[in-house]
Amino acid sequence: MTYSNKKIADVAAELEKRIKTLDDKSSILRATELRALYAEIPTLPEEKRADFGKEINVLKDYLQKLVDQAQDEQEAAEPIDVTAPFDRNIPKAERPRLLSSKFGSKHPLMSELERVLAIFYRMGFTAVESRQLDDDYHMFETLNFPEGHPARDDYDTFMTSEGLVAPAHTSTMQNRVLSTYKANLEKGEAISVVIPGRVFRNEDLDARHEHTFYQLEGVYVDEGVTVGNLIATLKTFLETYFSQQLEVKTQPYYFPFTEPSFEFAISCPFCKKQGCSVCSQSGWIELLGCGLIHPNVLKMAGIDPEKYTGFAWGMGIDRMVMMKQNIEDVRHFESGKLEFLRQF
Amino acid sequence: MKVSVNWVKEFTDIKLSTEELVSAIGAQLGEVEEVLNLGERYEGIVVAKVLDVQDHPNADRLHVCNIDDGGVTKGISRDGNGNVQVVCGAPNVKKGMLVAWIPPHCVVPSSWDTERFTLEAREIRGVMSNGMLASGKELAINDDHDGILEISDKVSAGTALSEVYDLDDTIIEIENKMFTHRPDLFGILGIARELAGIQNIAFKSPEWYKNARAVVSQGEELDLRVSNELTSLVPRFLMVPIAGVSVGPSPIKMQSYLSRVGINPINNIVDVTNFISMLTAQPLHAFDYDKILELDGSREAKIVLRHPKKGEKIALLNGKSIEPREEAIMVATPKHLLAVGGVMGGSATEVDKHTTNVLLECATFDMYSIRRTSMAHGLFTDAVTRYNKGQSPLQNDRIFSYALSLIKDTAGGRVAGKVHDLKEDTFRQHDVTVSPQFVNERLGLKLTGNEIKKHLENVEFEITDKRNELQVMPPFWRTDIEVPEDVVEEIGRLIGYDHLPLKLPLRSVAPVQTNPLLDLKSDIRDILSRSGANELLTYSFVHGNLLERAGQDKQLAYGLSNALSPELQYYRMSLLPSLLDKVHPNIKAGHESFAIFEINKAHDKSNVHEDGLPVEEERLALVVAADDKTAPKGSAYFWAKYYANELLHRLGFDNLVYELTKTHTPKYDTDKQALAPFEPNRSAYIKTANGILLGIVGEVRASTRKGFKLPAFTAGFELDVLMLQQYRGARPYRPLSRFPSTHQDISFQISQTVSYAELHQVVGESLERARSEHGYVISLSPLDIYHPEHKNNLHMSFRIQVTHNERTLTTTEINSLLDTVAEHAHTKLKAVRL
Repeated sequence: MTYSNKKIADVAAELEKRIKTLDDKSSILRATELRALYAEIPTLPEEKRADFGKEINVLKDYLQKLVDQAQDEQEAAEPIDVTAPFDRNIPKAERPRLLSSKFGSKHPLMSELERVLAIFYRMGFTAVESRQLDDDYHMFETLNFPEGHPARDDYDTFMTSEGLVAPAHTSTMQNRVLSTYKANLEKGEAISVVIPGRVFRNEDLDARHEHTFYQLEGVYVDEGVTVGNLIATLKTFLETYFSQQLEVKTQPYYFPFTEPSFEFAISCPFCKKQGCSVCSQSGWIELLGCGLIHPNVLKMAGIDPEKYTGFAWGMGIDRMVMMKQNIEDVRHFESGKLEFLRQF
Repeated sequence: MKVSVNWVKEFTDIKLSTEELVSAIGAQLGEVEEVLNLGERYEGIVVAKVLDVQDHPNADRLHVCNIDDGGVTKGISRDGNGNVQVVCGAPNVKKGMLVAWIPPHCVVPSSWDTERFTLEAREIRGVMSNGMLASGKELAINDDHDGILEISDKVSAGTALSEVYDLDDTIIEIENKMFTHRPDLFGILGIARELAGIQNIAFKSPEWYKNARAVVSQGEELDLRVSNELTSLVPRFLMVPIAGVSVGPSPIKMQSYLSRVGINPINNIVDVTNFISMLTAQPLHAFDYDKILELDGSREAKIVLRHPKKGEKIALLNGKSIEPREEAIMVATPKHLLAVGGVMGGSATEVDKHTTNVLLECATFDMYSIRRTSMAHGLFTDAVTRYNKGQSPLQNDRIFSYALSLIKDTAGGRVAGKVHDLKEDTFRQHDVTVSPQFVNERLGLKLTGNEIKKHLENVEFEITDKRNELQVMPPFWRTDIEVPEDVVEEIGRLIGYDHLPLKLPLRSVAPVQTNPLLDLKSDIRDILSRSGANELLTYSFVHGNLLERAGQDKQLAYGLSNALSPELQYYRMSLLPSLLDKVHPNIKAGHESFAIFEINKAHDKSNVHEDGLPVEEERLALVVAADDKTAPKGSAYFWAKYYANELLHRLGFDNLVYELTKTHTPKYDTDKQALAPFEPNRSAYIKTANGILLGIVGEVRASTRKGFKLPAFTAGFELDVLMLQQYRGARPYRPLSRFPSTHQDISFQISQTVSYAELHQVVGESLERARSEHGYVISLSPLDIYHPEHKNNLHMSFRIQVTHNERTLTTTEINSLLDTVAEHAHTKLKAVRL
């Protein structure tokens, strides 16, 4: 380790020497020299504090690592024969086995996603998984969001220090999917793909809002694709998913990557439009955003928008599962609580 | 966006009932958030004439008034002349004035949304009062509570108040997210046009909007110079000085327009700017001309559009003072900042009741710059909402001259200096050519050219017929029509998408390919959940100290620059630590033993594609744990390994090799990070027989165990799902033998230094030879591993199951087979048969 600040470097050298002589290695983290460095921060000119503080933290992390290493060496478990099927001297009845299958469970989001996927497979869609770390080019640029466009504000996006993006929607895969499958069009077949995946929004957590959730994107391109095709496709899917006839309605919306754009609502499958807590007494449930793919998006993927048209949609999986299973708090999904998981 | 239906009706017919209108707006314009029946709030409130004002006998500040309501109110007590007595405390009440009277049994409108206050006839200090004479505040028209509202309009007593001021209104609040590309819909005029189009009625913009009138100066006494240093950010800037205005409250009619759409009336100048903004979506701003001169100590106003100089500050109308960001568009003088252009005005040049000369501005600002400035300073105003949608600079002059005429009507004054209109030719309307076929192909309709034409002309597009095509010229206020698809959207929306024919796309019967990786994940999920394990999901983002506790190198993790909290700051580099993090809480919650697993992605900076994007590692991790009371005997390692073996076996992996991780470190940083939490003495690389690394299984290091408060019985594995996908195989079927099978057990005493795998392999070699020589069908399985106390050797036992497809085996044959096995084991490993 090298430190640009002389004082910190000196303390570092001293403490690294001292830790070798200590029985209780962790006491190094309480060394007076280290505390003195922290105490010095508020006395420094404002512009120097951050760098100084950062370097002390580097030193502290490094010492912590040395302490951990020492602990790992001191308390290392006795070696075992890792090639053996079970430990020595263990009676047959107490050897490793699987837990009773009655305890086992699949995560409700994953099993529901599988059900959704199965329906779309039957409808002729193939599937591609979405990325969890992507770039601005795929998340915005290829989707007809110019730099600085206010529509970007609607996606509270997490960014990494390197400028990568935690995708806020599965549409981040549209350009890739269109580019990959455009060969279909030349063969006279449609592009029909669904894209499940985990997405992220910089949003505070509460019972109804998660910063991490699942979406399923759909993309369909062919010659002569109409808005009626879009609505019929979604309606058919939802009727299959909810095992009943539904009414649907659309509401004009704005997305830069579709034109026209809609929000899509279905008659509440739980109360048959009578009004219930799931639909907030309105009889309707807004489920997803959709529209005809914007010609610029097709162009970006090398598809001729004069010849081909297509539709796309993106729907949230978490909410559908919450509605269907009557789950009261979205935070349960990523809680890892066995009380929750074992119910599914 | 609040829409007043009465205001809309000034520009177009509404043939729909409120309910129909709301549902049409929902389906064809945008989501309706709230519908408010304003009229019911004013029911019963009438204009009354004050006939007489007497001092209250028992109270200094109260008056006893005799009013004439034209006799329209029923069920109240009247005097012999049919007039009504009301006690009133307002200082401005006087004989002969027209007032708004809230009779008994009516609700005070301002209390409507809170605790509704219903008036009654009651004695006030011994004098009977029937209802009340209301202030502007009580009527929810303005904020004035210093006196009662004086009605100066020419109406007769007994007229319903709502009739005088259009309060018999319905206010529809529309979610404005869908107007992101439609600046024109942020004004009543635009909404009215759209509603006409939806009803298939031709809309006609008012004359002042359609045709620009030149602004004529009526004097030269106010000097004004304007220069634009930011031509790329301010494509159009109109400004004119107006002399001799008298600032005061607006006429109640004007105030009513504003209050109905949620704007607080301020004074006649500011109200006109707000009225125009609500009507046309074009924000205006008025400065006090004399305050500008005073600031600069100058005799002429020198307005410059410029960026702020370093250190320059401005006090804003909201009471805050800011140092605007370097690239902000400032309306300024060379010496002082006057307003953050398009965002908020400065308090130093605010128009107030002493103002006599004003500068009126009607500008177009760059939407991106406005947005950045607004975000940088947290300033979210009605002007920002409108400006960051990108107004058309082609409408400024029309709006400007209309605003001037309104100012003249309400505040007097005249244009008294040069009219400045600085424009850049950055936006020009251009036509789009589209064929009916193009439209019909996308909407699934069979519209004729004429029908399309009619729909577009309804909202004032100009259409020229060309052979089989329509040349569509958008009106000057539309900035969103660029490609033929935009015209399709226009027609689709005006017709209503819910009226389009639904039809599923047709496809061939060729089966689609399912996604093999998703299939595999689904298989894993099935196998493990049937094996009693629980699938969970944890966040992709973790705390830096979770990485540290797992012994991982934080520097390699992608960090979020705008994390919600330190809890969610880094992209995780493997899944196991996230699972370890869930062990202690579940043990604490009373779960004695469990296996949890997750299938998800991991990222690290060392593993990057050629295009610069991180490789997404597809991972499966599982952890088995048991609390100290119920933990089984022996190392937890073997339990995790058992799960790994079971899973891999079902996925078609057999003859796996387990190598102690302590023997070598992995080549790649990614694998090093995955390895970090494992205890080197009790973890193993899992490899295929061909040496392909599938993952790592083992217990965790002491510091990790402490860091996560793990019970001693904790172990897990992390596998590379892409490797599983690539190398998974089919499990071969072995035909059943018609002959009986027999089994024999064999035990060895062997040095501790020999591993189970070595002995297993040597035994396996003998059996394999026997298979190829004699055609035996053999299976070998472990029976026991015993370590006698204080001894350096181990006893290992196996069960050998043998059969033959063509005959029954003899005892001699079996014994000879076992002898061969023992002999070979002895030669190779000095194993002694017991």
